[in-house]
Amino acid sequence: MRSVYLEKLTEFTHLLRLEGLAVGLAETADACAILEALGFEDRERVRWALRAVFAKSQGEQAVFDRAFDGFFVSQEQKEAIRARKKAEAEEMARRQAEAERDLQVRGQPLDIRDDLREVYMKMSDEKREELRQLMERTKPNIDRSPQLYTNFIRSVFMRFLLEQQMLMEDAAVGVEEALDPEMALMVRDIGTFRDEEIPRATALIARITQQLNAELSVRRQHAAHRGALDFRRTIRRGLETGGSLYRLSFRRKRRKKRRLVLLCDVSGSMLQFSEFALRFIKSLSDVAESSRTFLFSEAVREVDAFSLQNMDAFRQYVKDSGLYGRGTDLGTALGVLLQMRPAVLDPSATLLILSDTKTIDLPRAGRALQEAGRLAGKVLWLNPIPEGKWPYVGSIRTMGTLCQMLPCSTLSELAQACRRLVQ
Amino acid sequence: MDFETLRQKLREQHYICDDQLVTTVLVALQLGRPLLIEGAAGVGKTEVAKVMAAVLDRDLVRLQCYEGLDESKALYEWNYQKQLLSIQVNMNRQDPDQLTRSLFGDEYLLERPLLKAIRAEKPVVLLIDEIDKADEEFEAFLLELLSEMQVTIPEVGTVRAKTIPFVVLTSNRTRPLSEALRRRCAYLYLQYPDVEREVEIIRAKLPDANERLAVQVAEAIHKLRENDAILKKPSIAETLDWVAALEALGITDLDQEAFRRTSGFVLKNSEDLDAAEHPPEEAEGADCGCGCGHDHDHGHCHHHGAQA
Repeated sequence: MRSVYLEKLTEFTHLLRLEGLAVGLAETADACAILEALGFEDRERVRWALRAVFAKSQGEQAVFDRAFDGFFVSQEQKEAIRARKKAEAEEMARRQAEAERDLQVRGQPLDIRDDLREVYMKMSDEKREELRQLMERTKPNIDRSPQLYTNFIRSVFMRFLLEQQMLMEDAAVGVEEALDPEMALMVRDIGTFRDEEIPRATALIARITQQLNAELSVRRQHAAHRGALDFRRTIRRGLETGGSLYRLSFRRKRRKKRRLVLLCDVSGSMLQFSEFALRFIKSLSDVAESSRTFLFSEAVREVDAFSLQNMDAFRQYVKDSGLYGRGTDLGTALGVLLQMRPAVLDPSATLLILSDTKTIDLPRAGRALQEAGRLAGKVLWLNPIPEGKWPYVGSIRTMGTLCQMLPCSTLSELAQACRRLVQ
Repeated sequence: MDFETLRQKLREQHYICDDQLVTTVLVALQLGRPLLIEGAAGVGKTEVAKVMAAVLDRDLVRLQCYEGLDESKALYEWNYQKQLLSIQVNMNRQDPDQLTRSLFGDEYLLERPLLKAIRAEKPVVLLIDEIDKADEEFEAFLLELLSEMQVTIPEVGTVRAKTIPFVVLTSNRTRPLSEALRRRCAYLYLQYPDVEREVEIIRAKLPDANERLAVQVAEAIHKLRENDAILKKPSIAETLDWVAALEALGITDLDQEAFRRTSGFVLKNSEDLDAAEHPPEEAEGADCGCGCGHDHDHGHCHHHGAQA
């Protein structure tokens, strides 16, 4: 009997590995030992004991619970799951057949990627009906120019399916939230934060920046106890302790801090991201010797540190400055920076751009960015669009070749970007 | 120790907990693994270590972590001043080599909590509190201690544990801990207790408290914790303080006036006080979020007499 359970346990650990938990031999041995001691009678007790051994965070606990409930099931539950799976498989087969029938033009399958076919299968019936009706409406044109018609249908379908794919990905974010609300806020798109979540997000930022600042100060402390001995200072300090060299002094490297020039897009949807990003960067006490901040939409304004102190003041400033609710013109903003005298951009400056790259007159913006890259010591771009969507956005592909672009769609990515900034 | 004994002993120490906590602590004890407890501030993580020291009849050795904590504060430090004095006193009396060797003996070693825990003659409970506040370097250093129960002191060599301590690590999750550290521990995530359990805790810790007041306070605390606008959620200790304060003031019913007079015991910053007293406008019939534990019809808060 016991060997049957242990065999089951081995299968279960394999399942946990498939679910992404790091389960090693040590954990499996621990689980065996603890089950032998506790017994197998009480299902919940077995769950808690195994969870303590296999799941090492709140997120992992949720994964574990799902796996446990799926694996250790009663006969009735097994039957119910089997019936549900069968129904799901039948439904998927029906949708697949429908997709094969719908996604073809003139008897030939449409040339679209497999993942988009899958999106079509998972889409709601209403959405699929929309596409079917569109095809029906445009059918009379099929004989006029068959090739043109095929290309048209393909491009419309591609755009529609990509949009649906993005919506599905965004919708899946809610699942993470169910696991761990606080950590979920770290990995959620900043643009989707609700008003009531903003205080929590602000508190998280304060906590992370505190941590980053602490890391920096520890690194400095350690650096002060390493390297070449400073004889003069060591001997002078030794005089305090009667000539004994009680405290050693080391030569400190002169730290060269950078000058930071921040250029923040505050047009429409970018406002929330810029607020968070600025809050992050400004809280890093050691990020730069001095910094200047410029806000832009169609025009550009320099903003003083006082206006950035709290979110309400920042929003009010953006609204009063006339930048809010207008389009984005990065070319003009960079042009103004380049022409400023005394020069804002020079080799000691790091230009940090906070924008989603959606700008009017992209070629002009590209040329201005190239010029800014030539003048500034370093150009970094913090982009709030999730990295997975970059290949589909032409302006990101263009700007990405001209400077280093870092994904910052979530607080976690923003923290990582800031860490790179201070290193 | 078996499950029932442990549960009984925890109850004897007035520690009210569920079976999940008992099972997890038992797993850590049986496997000889450190117990990593995560959860929000004030859910009773540190208390687990204190109670376990009493349950196991062991001394509690506590290491409070903070930014910049290093080996010299956590493990050991040489008594440099004493060493200097010794050099000056014995300079002409002793063979220099022998003098050098004698400088790195027990006499000059200042034990810090970790070394104290593993060199203790009787096993202890070692509490490494708020490990998330320490740096990643320190976390890496802890790995040797937690996995091998030994530490290396360059001047002395490897010190093996004389007795194996029961190690409890706590974290408020201000930063994620490394996978390596997590893998070496049994893991427990503690959540705030539900209303019934919180009433039980009040009963256990303050047996003379008014039963009705205890229920009212537990319900109010539960509502405050659910209120998203409140950033610093009230801890269990604050619940007990609040009940004690209300009792001391002779209050037997938690009404609006009582809440206003004593809210400082549970809400510790002006934003939270403001959020509890002036919640944002909500749908008709919704709870006002004041934490007073009543529903409000027609969008009015009877307690505050204000539009909800």
